[in-house]
Formats: sequence, C-alpha cells, structure tokens
Amino acid sequence: MTREADVVRSLVEMADTLVDDYDVVDLLTGLADRCVSLLDVSAAGVMLASPSGGLGLVASSSEAMRLLELFELQAEEGPCLDAFRHGERVGQENLQAGAGPWPQFSAAAVRAGFQSAVALPLRLRDVTLGALNLLGATRSPIAEADLIVARAFADLAALSIVQHRASTEAQRLNEQLSGALTSRIVIEQAKGVISERAGVDLAEAFTRLRTHARKTNQRLTDVARAAVDGTLDPRAWAPASP
Amino acid sequence: MAGDRLRRILAELAGGESSWPATRLCAVGPQITGANGVGVMLMSGDIPSGSLCSSDDVSQLIEDLQYTLGEGPCVDAYRSDQFVTEPDLADPQTRRWFAFTPPALQAGVRAVFGFPLRVGTVRLGALNLYRDQPGELSTDQHADALVLADLTARWVLDTQAGAPSGVVAEQLEAGAEFHFAVHNAAGIVSVQEGISVTEALIRLRAFAYSHDRLLADVAQDVIARKLRLG
Repeated sequence: MTREADVVRSLVEMADTLVDDYDVVDLLTGLADRCVSLLDVSAAGVMLASPSGGLGLVASSSEAMRLLELFELQAEEGPCLDAFRHGERVGQENLQAGAGPWPQFSAAAVRAGFQSAVALPLRLRDVTLGALNLLGATRSPIAEADLIVARAFADLAALSIVQHRASTEAQRLNEQLSGALTSRIVIEQAKGVISERAGVDLAEAFTRLRTHARKTNQRLTDVARAAVDGTLDPRAWAPASP
Repeated sequence: MAGDRLRRILAELAGGESSWPATRLCAVGPQITGANGVGVMLMSGDIPSGSLCSSDDVSQLIEDLQYTLGEGPCVDAYRSDQFVTEPDLADPQTRRWFAFTPPALQAGVRAVFGFPLRVGTVRLGALNLYRDQPGELSTDQHADALVLADLTARWVLDTQAGAPSGVVAEQLEAGAEFHFAVHNAAGIVSVQEGISVTEALIRLRAFAYSHDRLLADVAQDVIARKLRLG
C-alpha cells in the first residue's frame, strides 16, 4: 500500500471520531502513533493546554518520548512550548546539547537518541489548543511532504477536540435545562396538591408552599417534592396563624 | 452562498439588536421560510415538554395537539432526528398521525414540515412549519428553515447558559408554553382521586383523548373545578 493510501485511510479513521462519542486521549495517542508509522520520525508527542493555560502531556508514542516531554515541561523550554506559545511551527534540524533555542531540552533529547525536532501547533482558526512534537533520530530536516501530512493530522485533531468540547458543553446545558424544567414542574404539581388540600386557589397555594419552605428553612423544590409525594407536614398548607 | 443565507437570516432575526427574544424566532419564521406559521417544540427525554414560541394560534394548536396526543411532525422529527415532510395532510403519502390529522386539517393546516432542533449530537426538540395550501417546500425555503432551526437550537442553549443554576432562563420562559396548568391539574386530581401525580397525568391525558379535547383545556376545567375526573 502506498504511503498516500495509508495517509488517506488514517485521515478517514480520525474523521470518523467526529461523529461518535470518543476519548480525546485515545484520539491524540492515535495521532502520535500515526505520525511515527507514516512519517520519517522516530517519536511523537502531543501536549494540550489546560483551562488555566498551562500545557500538559496527553500522548506520546514511546516511553522515551514521554520522559523527554515531561522533561520539556519541567525545564520550561522546548519545541512544543514554543510552537504553542507562538502558534507557529518551530524546528531544529541539528540538536546540540547546551546550545540552540533549547539548551537543556536538546541535551536530554540527544541523550535519548534524538537529533532533530519539529513541533506544530494544534490550531483551529485563531485558537491554539496545544502542540504536536516530532523527533527524528537523524540530523536530516523533515521532508516537506511529511510536514504537510503532519499538518493535516494536527488540524483534524484540533477540530475534533474543539467539537468534542462544544458537544460536552451543549450536553451539560441541555441537562441543566431539563433539570430546571423538571423542578419547576414539581412546584406546579405541588401547587395543585396544596390548592386541593387547603381549598385555596393556586396563587394562595404557592404562597403557603413558599412560606412553609422559609419557616422550615428548606428549599422550595424539596417542599414541593414532599407535597407531591404525600409526605409533607399538613401544617404546611394550614392557613397562616393569626 | 451558505454564509450569505446565514447572514440574511441573522439580520432578520436581530433587526438591529444584538440579541433577540424567543418570540422573534417564531415571528420572523414565516417571512423567512414562506410558511403560514412557525412553532418550536421542546422535548424532554422522549416526550414533548412544551413550545418555545408559536407565530400564531394555528401553530400553537399544532403544538398543543402534539403535546396532548404525543404524535405529529415535531415528535417524529425529534425521534427520528430527520426532516419530516407531509405536503398534503388531506392526501398523505404516509399513513400516520391518525389522531393529529383531523383536528389539524379542521384548523386549516394542509402541509406540515418538521426540522430537528439540535446542537451537535444534543437533541432539543423540533421546528415546525405549516402551510394552508398543499405542496413541498422549495429548496431555498428548506435551506432557510435548516438555518433557522440551527440558530434556534443554539439560542436555547446559549440563553440557558446565562440562567442561574436550577432555574429555567427568563427569556426562555417568556413566550413559551410549558403547560404548567396541566401539572397544576395533575396535582389537584391526585388529591381528589387519591392517586399519584403520574397516574393523574395519565388519566387527564386519557380523558382529553377520549373526549377529543386538548389537554390544556381539560386542565383549565379541572383547575376551575368545572370538571372532576371520576
């Protein structure tokens, strides 16, 4: 199978995750693994920004890569951090311990057997979500064709993450609306119950519910629930004492 | 092209303002889609919970019928998550809505269309269009309705996002019909008959169905103590 066919298949597989419920970590682990198997790189790592803005390591293609990325975060220098901060691709064809833009990171990378690094931001329009780090074992620059493929994977991953977050938020809001409506419905049902028990109109029934909730220091929804369940203290609907 | 359509519809909705009430969605719906009336039905779980807005009495009736009977274009659009079309209720291609169709026809409804309301995979309800003449929607009208449905769904969630926790957003309630009277009536009936509120709702619905009345109307009679379910 040609590399092109593999790339297309990978993109389709990743795109499938857009419709199903999926795990972000699984998605990004798949991204890192695909980069290693389809591109001329030895290892890949993915970092995502947390709500507070700091980067965290989410996926890596090997244990050596994982340790290196953790080191990058600890040392607060490295290609992922720069790609994320600037929203632009960064790279170093020839990592030298103690030299270049990332002296400490380069030293650790060389010790781990890596000689070159390229990092791409995970971006959707003007939002940068994280970064994809690609490390090579040789000093050769990463091929343009490989960069194009890596860019496509990174873009699809970014889109997936944004969609997933939006979906989670929409789900939360819908549940909140449902819950709020249900609480309101219980209160309306309770108004009917009290109206019949006390022989008063709905407005007065509501007043008695509220008054009882206040007097007994309970939430209105709890008092309403008790009224509907039939467990409410009958004094709740008694007329107010003179 | 798609961007133009969205911009045009947003412009009609906003009318110069930065936000709009739910009622506006239904008020401008007819002129956007070419329908006689537009209504938005909200669903909770698998059942109708009420209408967000209706552009006119007939649209409100369409919603009331679906609320009472549990069947109709919005219900189907929501459950199937697909566009539902009935270009001629008087001569339908698909035999369905046996209880919904006669009263709808009597009210002057000839064609109905249901569009699911959703944000991503989250489903909220359906947008309903009706016409007093038979016929399908044109491609443009269909596309406009899709945009309107999309905007309406997002509007519902965005509006709820601004509400304090545990409360239905004020702007969602204004112009909406959540049939609270039906629940008031269920409370009354539960005490009168010594049954649970759930059972009371079932009895109210059964009474409405067998007497060919809207649930909302039966509820009003119960509240006014004009009707007692025995």
